[in-house]
Amino acid sequence: MGFELNFSIDPRTKIIILAIISFMVFNDVPMYVSGILVLIPFFCLFFSDYKKAAVIYILTYVIAKYLQITILPNATGILAIVLITFSYTATRMLPILMMGYYTIMTTKVSEFIASMEKSNVPKDITIPVSVVFRYIPSVFEEIRSITKAMKMRGFGLTFKSLKSPLKMVEFYMIPILISAVKTSDELSAASLTRGLSNPKKRTNLISVEFNKFDYLFLAISIAGIAVYIYYLYGGALIA
Amino acid sequence: MSERLNVKDLITVGIFSVIIIVLIFIFGMLGYVPILMIALPILAALICGIPYMLFLTRVSKFGMVTLMGLIMGIVMFLSGHTWVPIVTFTVCAFIADCILKMGNYSSIKNAIISHGVFIIGIMGNMLPFFILKDAFMSAMRTSMGNDYVNVVAPFLQTNVLFVLFVLTFICGLISAYIGKLVLKKHFERAGIA
Amino acid sequence: MLKMENVSFSYDEMRNANLKDINLDIGDGEVILLCGESGCGKTTLTRFLNGLIPNFFDGKREGKASLNSELIDEMPIYEISEHVGSVFQNPKTQFFNVDTTGEIVFGCENLAMDASDIKRRLDNVVRDFGLRHLLDKNIFKLSGGEKQKIACASVSAVNPEILILDEPSSNLDSKSSWDFKAIIEKWKSQGKTVIIAEHKLFFLDDVIDRVIFIKNGKIDNEWTIDEFKQVNHRNLGLRQLNLNNLTAKHPDYYCSSPEFMEIKNFRFNYGRTRVLDIDSVRIPKNEIIAIIGKNGAGKSTFANCLCGLKRSCKGELILDNHSLNRKERLKKSYMVMQDVNHQLFTESVLDEVLLSMDGENEEGACEILDNLNLIHLKDSHPMALSGGEKQRVAIASAIASKKEILIFDEPTSGLDLKNMMKVSENLKYLQGLGITSFIITHDYELILEACSHVLHFEGGKIIDSYKMDKEKLKEFFLE
Repeated sequence: MGFELNFSIDPRTKIIILAIISFMVFNDVPMYVSGILVLIPFFCLFFSDYKKAAVIYILTYVIAKYLQITILPNATGILAIVLITFSYTATRMLPILMMGYYTIMTTKVSEFIASMEKSNVPKDITIPVSVVFRYIPSVFEEIRSITKAMKMRGFGLTFKSLKSPLKMVEFYMIPILISAVKTSDELSAASLTRGLSNPKKRTNLISVEFNKFDYLFLAISIAGIAVYIYYLYGGALIA
Repeated sequence: MSERLNVKDLITVGIFSVIIIVLIFIFGMLGYVPILMIALPILAALICGIPYMLFLTRVSKFGMVTLMGLIMGIVMFLSGHTWVPIVTFTVCAFIADCILKMGNYSSIKNAIISHGVFIIGIMGNMLPFFILKDAFMSAMRTSMGNDYVNVVAPFLQTNVLFVLFVLTFICGLISAYIGKLVLKKHFERAGIA
Repeated sequence: MLKMENVSFSYDEMRNANLKDINLDIGDGEVILLCGESGCGKTTLTRFLNGLIPNFFDGKREGKASLNSELIDEMPIYEISEHVGSVFQNPKTQFFNVDTTGEIVFGCENLAMDASDIKRRLDNVVRDFGLRHLLDKNIFKLSGGEKQKIACASVSAVNPEILILDEPSSNLDSKSSWDFKAIIEKWKSQGKTVIIAEHKLFFLDDVIDRVIFIKNGKIDNEWTIDEFKQVNHRNLGLRQLNLNNLTAKHPDYYCSSPEFMEIKNFRFNYGRTRVLDIDSVRIPKNEIIAIIGKNGAGKSTFANCLCGLKRSCKGELILDNHSLNRKERLKKSYMVMQDVNHQLFTESVLDEVLLSMDGENEEGACEILDNLNLIHLKDSHPMALSGGEKQRVAIASAIASKKEILIFDEPTSGLDLKNMMKVSENLKYLQGLGITSFIITHDYELILEACSHVLHFEGGKIIDSYKMDKEKLKEFFLE
């Protein structure tokens, strides 16, 4: 890393921004508004060691937007349909997908619980959500391992196996579900012996406080949504 | 809520949410092929019955199914699917929970119907398709001409949405029934259901 | 401190008791080993002490168990957790967090300690266990030994007086086992009471004070460590306490004049780092070959490449004067994975074997099952079987598909003596069928029992390949 920015934002800020961006995809808005929602995920990713993802994202977006403005109005044929699909999906959905990617990749379970508890979100929600984050990597690891086992018995993605897709689903599903049941029992037992059922409010090693970046990003995105609402309903409000 | 959920219930909800979400994501990959995107709810409904029925063998309190809906919605939101799935999943899961409660969490019939309702929550993930529809139509009009759009348009209208709802529900029932069979064939004999 | 009086327990009222009439008195600062065959009731006993019975497992209980003269079953489990810390067998399922630091302080946070207090405790365990380099890492990327260290650190952070370890070393290599011993010694020096239920005993001999031998749910015998050293462990169905007592059973090859296979140009990279780099090595055919080496030495990568599971590994295997490429190797070889649950797919043991056959031949399948002592289970669901039985089902399916090379990934992790001996019998049976077996293992006893050749891996290379030689092997295991 060339410079030390120490960039980090609170999980709550990420969630608020995510909500704002997902609200803004519903309508077409002029560039000066959509620019904000496009750049927030870019900067977030760029400053937190996902530079490659950030650059790929912004390039894809720019290409899609360029296609949309200059080429598509005159294009015809099958190619046009493909390009339309690409450009519209990219310009509308990409910012929110990238913000989601950023949120998930950069939020630690403990940090998430800490900030949710600060906002008085009950354990009934924080515990299952943390389990989700923790268990997703294990499931993919299992899928890989089962795929390996199937290959050794000659059921790769071959003709033989494609003939009976239902069997494939069954072969994957049974081991995964059996291990899910096992994991949920063992994880529950381990968590209980570590006091997770304590009714007292948990404390947290990491103190979650809003810092300058939180205020900056919140201010920008709230300004964005204000302009957006003004643009959509402003005329009506004034009239 | 008569009985509060304990840590074990919460962890069970988390684990099974993961299984269902991962299944939806894997089949959601097919959604990048534009036309198949419409079929996503049907595919998901067909596949999720098995884990759902296994999940129900561990549910005996009101709230667990609702909570699973909410959690799935939240995870969808966090992974960039807008906030709409939170609403649709929670509402559908709540209705499913009520159906289960009416059957005292032991009626198989209610369990199957509840899956049909529960899985309709996935329609929330379809939102991008309907947002994009308008943009799509206007772009098509300029490039493909009015005639083309007039032919295609009816397929993208609300009646498609309605058909999708019904199909998702029916596939949900079928898949829950299959789930019940798989439960008998595998999990009961393996001693975990 | 811990006391059990006439405790009996059964998970299922209909079945036999899992624990019968246990009387036990454990004092401050004692280090106690619970041993006995699989299923003897060790784990059940530990569950009594950490409150999982009755808070998580239900069943029929009798008698009293008390902690500091308070009845355990009247305490809520989170209160018990302040006094009793537990480490479990499976490192994959005992973590709640994804990052190491969060996991270490997880217990403290649950018990609502002050942030400044938690910080101090974190610093203490990091210093005590030497964990600085593991902080803020993804737990899932750590090795088995490192995971178990984190698990120990996180119970230690709460600073309980009692630590209960349920088969903590099942997934550890020999070096990590010695590290684990150092952790127990640390606890002992802090005056903590440690109760450890284990099969693998070799790393424990000078840290335990008292040994409790459990058989069929009862305390069958109790020894001080000095008495225990004199006991014949084999007769009790226990693993060796002192590995120096063992001898190699197969210092010569099984075949009188073995043929050789040759492995050429096996290379594999993860990203830019080369994790496997083998030019050429000759390995005896139709023998039982041990693959040893530290974690990350390239053993499993080698196994995956040999089975043809890694697309980018281009090397060849020369067997009976034929050169086999990746796809051909995939057809001829089979790996029995550590988590054998992932490779059993069907609804009955018989189907599992039939699925592997070219044409379905029920008679042939039954014969294979009979030879592996599985015929009485042919209609059972594979997932309902015990670990050892599942492994045999996987072996049966490999035999059915006429594989010539079998690779076992840690086949004896967490197994008691009886089951380890069964694994060794299976290996010899496979040898009799003309199959070459490779065994990735950290189990010194198993190697001496069954293997006739050793491949030693280090840094992605085979640094040594030799006919069974106890002294050489000992150097690696008892460094």
